[in-house]
Amino acid sequence: MTGINKNNKCRRIRGWLSDAISRHFGLDASWLQKHITNCPRCQRRLLSYGKVNLAISAIKSQPHKLDLLMCANAQAIGVLKHSLRRAQKAKKLRTIRPEPKLRERFGKYASSTANIAACIAIMLLMKFGVFSSMDTFQTQGQKVIKQYYASRAGDDLADEIFPTDTNSLSNLI
Amino acid sequence: MFGKTVSYGLLWDFAVSEAVSEDQRWILSTMHKHGQALITVLWRILGNEQDVCDAYQDTFLQLAHYEGGQRPEHVKAYIFRTANNVAISMLRRRMAERKRMSKAIFTGKQVTTPAKELDSKYLQESLRCYIAQLPEHLRNVITLRDLAELSYAQIGRILGISAATARVYRCKALQILTVWMGKEEEK
Repeated sequence: MTGINKNNKCRRIRGWLSDAISRHFGLDASWLQKHITNCPRCQRRLLSYGKVNLAISAIKSQPHKLDLLMCANAQAIGVLKHSLRRAQKAKKLRTIRPEPKLRERFGKYASSTANIAACIAIMLLMKFGVFSSMDTFQTQGQKVIKQYYASRAGDDLADEIFPTDTNSLSNLI
Repeated sequence: MFGKTVSYGLLWDFAVSEAVSEDQRWILSTMHKHGQALITVLWRILGNEQDVCDAYQDTFLQLAHYEGGQRPEHVKAYIFRTANNVAISMLRRRMAERKRMSKAIFTGKQVTTPAKELDSKYLQESLRCYIAQLPEHLRNVITLRDLAELSYAQIGRILGISAATARVYRCKALQILTVWMGKEEEK
């Protein structure tokens, strides 16, 4: 087994393990919920844990002023060497404002991009992949059945039922 | 003659300053690249704009004077660790000052009402105080993971530990914070 395959397998197994562990030992596990309803000590612990999470979320959700980066840059540049203070980049930093990250900026297009990608993938499959294989499969199946009819009921009847080209099929119809 | 000397002197000064500027221009690039993330983490640790500016200034001042103006090998790691330390020192100083001003705040004599417990500002301040009291290795991980929102791999690189160790430290830190928050409730 190559190293990459081994790594992939290991990663897959780790994923399963973490899923299984969170299913059986996560906060939503039924046995844990049952225990918590009857255990005041665990209830207190869970409450405190919730408070910590709530406080972290509250800290994260507090926005700062838009010009904070600008002010901080200006103050920090003010104590750097004179040569640095005069640099062109320093001037730019004194007026800089926070910008959303590339991922955040293009995040809203993620679902539409995924849809387009899915459409392209289906079109490619239709062109080269699954659908052409299905077509081949159907033709092969037809051939086998035609052979069966030819051996049992004769070639004429088999040709009549399974015309070889599309023209003869339209004639038949 | 004197005029010439002065002008040569000025030229020399200009040349030297340009050389220094070229040498340390990476500081400005670092500020441009990591400034925003640094401001976010400092704001979340300190929650006060003037303190954020002071901590940010201190961080870059320390960076500029690192081993006589040398560029650290891992600049991001250096500035994040420095900012973290500076912010925690400021937070501790603020806590001590507040404690001195009104002893009732953190001595446990205050009455915690449910309304107060749900008060967001009160919760935030309590958590900040408890984070400042954590041991350094746990504190670094919790601030980088929960306040700076870095991945465990990035935290590992910054602190020089493995991602798994960072995960364990965060778990430990959360356990301690949970116990402390619980004790506060019991008081």
